[in-house]
Amino acid sequence: MKTVKILHMYADMLDLYGDSGNMEVISFRCKKRGINCQIDKYSIDSEMPDFSAYDLIYIGGGADLEQQHISADLLKCRDGIVRAYKNGTFLFLICGGYQLMGKYYRDADGNDIKGLGLFEYFTVAPNSRRKRCIGNIVIEAKLTGKPVKVVGFENHGGQTQGVKAPFGKVLYGNGNCSKSEAEGYCEKNVIATYLHGPCLSKNPEISDYMIEYCINRGEKEHIALEPLDDTLEKECRQVMLDRLLKK
Amino acid sequence: MKRLLIIIGKIIVKLLKLMHRNAGNLPGIVLWHLSRHKAVSMFTVECPIIAVTGTNGKTSVTNCIAQLFERSGRKIIINKEGNNLDTGICSMLLKYCDMSGKVKADCLILETDESHVPVVYSQLKLDTLVVLNFFRDQLDRNGEMETLIQKINGFCKTFEGNLILNGDDPNTARLGRANPGNKNVKYFHAEPYAFATKKIFEASEGRFCPFCGEPLEYEYYQYSHIGKFICKKCGFGDHEPYITAKDIDLEKPVFTADGHTYSPKLNSIYNVYNMTAVAAAAKLYNIDQKVTDSVINSYTVKNGRMENFMLSGNKATLNLAKNPVGANMTLRVMNEMQGEKELLFVLNDNIADGLDVSWIYDINFSIFERVTRVVTSGTRAYDIAVRIKTAGYDPSKIVVQPDLDKAVEELAGTEGRKFIIANYTAVQPTRSALKRYISKHGGNK
Repeated sequence: MKTVKILHMYADMLDLYGDSGNMEVISFRCKKRGINCQIDKYSIDSEMPDFSAYDLIYIGGGADLEQQHISADLLKCRDGIVRAYKNGTFLFLICGGYQLMGKYYRDADGNDIKGLGLFEYFTVAPNSRRKRCIGNIVIEAKLTGKPVKVVGFENHGGQTQGVKAPFGKVLYGNGNCSKSEAEGYCEKNVIATYLHGPCLSKNPEISDYMIEYCINRGEKEHIALEPLDDTLEKECRQVMLDRLLKK
Repeated sequence: MKRLLIIIGKIIVKLLKLMHRNAGNLPGIVLWHLSRHKAVSMFTVECPIIAVTGTNGKTSVTNCIAQLFERSGRKIIINKEGNNLDTGICSMLLKYCDMSGKVKADCLILETDESHVPVVYSQLKLDTLVVLNFFRDQLDRNGEMETLIQKINGFCKTFEGNLILNGDDPNTARLGRANPGNKNVKYFHAEPYAFATKKIFEASEGRFCPFCGEPLEYEYYQYSHIGKFICKKCGFGDHEPYITAKDIDLEKPVFTADGHTYSPKLNSIYNVYNMTAVAAAAKLYNIDQKVTDSVINSYTVKNGRMENFMLSGNKATLNLAKNPVGANMTLRVMNEMQGEKELLFVLNDNIADGLDVSWIYDINFSIFERVTRVVTSGTRAYDIAVRIKTAGYDPSKIVVQPDLDKAVEELAGTEGRKFIIANYTAVQPTRSALKRYISKHGGNK
């Protein structure tokens, strides 16, 4: 049986808005299809893992203080993560995880937290802690070419700039900067986004995109995913789409 | 100018009364604008003010402290639940003040929203601040928790009055160090109860020492991150308790504090902490022990806080859960109970609830035992249904019914024990729907 190997980084620290729920969703959807899903955890005191041994690396979001705590440790993991990413390991990054993969995060007091610099973008927090992008958000993402509406909740002070390939187009809400058109960052094996909710809970296509990517690594023939009964998830999303996108 | 504003405020209160409306926040909001956001500074209060703040338990503790004074024969003023922002407190004071803005009472006991403590008490002299706990709650309104704690910490830096703090919550205990010159810092503490654990059980805040960044070490956890903690590096957590709850037995329920045994009505560790805070206030203000006994031993709650109903002969318990800690506590109570049961979960996402419902993923639904069916309702009925499904619960046993009356009918349609969890703005509508059901179909068979 196929096994999807996931490394959940700093689960004990970066889990501010139910982001660990994303792991529950992926594990749930694998289990339903008889796919093994192994989720290992890495945090500050853990032994340095072999990042390339994983199909997916996941980092959630946290408050400024927690982000400061982990940033030095994350820099120690830089080489391992870069190697894994170049080998095709999928990076799934939410909020703080998203910001820290960029060049830097400048906090409200003007202090820079160094990012891994894996990608070109950078994030600047506004001077006032009151100015935050908070609220429901709808974006349109094109993961497999087909547009899909993704619903979540954003709550971030940081304004992320210099994004070359966004995850989606904002239909409702703020996105990377306040009132911006683009949300997140995306590559074939990267999804970085500000969407909490948790993001995967009512957007099954995104979970399945990542699971499909993971089980097909190193395979010659494409393995398609068995469809699941997503009636509840889709109705859940539709309720929000009807509420938010209605003029 | 001040006098004029008070008169305007009083006229609004009177007008609303003539229209048979409760004053609520409106007069305060008007005054807040007219006074350039300094509405509370209009009033002159000469008696001591006691403020109660924290994420969970504010209303209970405020009511109990008020009763301590009231039953001691003193004239008190207390704000009702929901009026705990600066505008609400202003509206309330308008009703009690004279034309010069003077408020006459022996003591003011004010439930105060966490984020409004600095605003209100930079304008009114505070005698005692009671801080119960800080949990994840409505993060989208309060911003990150650290920001919130910083705000109150900033206030505490120059505060020289009494500070009654939960010594078992690192988020509140740290406030005791904000002003090293303040000799009036008093911590309340509780020894482990039967279900205390060595490992953390639920999502939590404050894993690290706020002073040196070291991970905090716990001797035990009572619930969430509440427990006996210490920072091995800088000693944060080694404070001397002012009062300690000991010999806690929730089966009875009893506990002792300062060598005195209490028999509260409510049987949660939650309540023990709240009542220990009340006992600390009683000790501080030299309240007669008989009065303290009567308050702590008789306190019980309605308004959807472990409130019981009979639905066509079946017992149903409704509990408010504003955040994961509250919801996890209810699930624990539900699980510790024998036999099969059904759950109705009502989830709203109105502004007062916090628009973000992602906190439901911090509820540990995997511990579900002998739950035969789940009905979900509220404006986010589907979100909570998906959450419970994702935790591994059989989706064919989940019924989504956004309409509350229909949801209650669905729940009451079968025999057996029922539990109902509702979040903040969902509680009152749920109570009303339950009462409508009972008047239509009967409570007892």
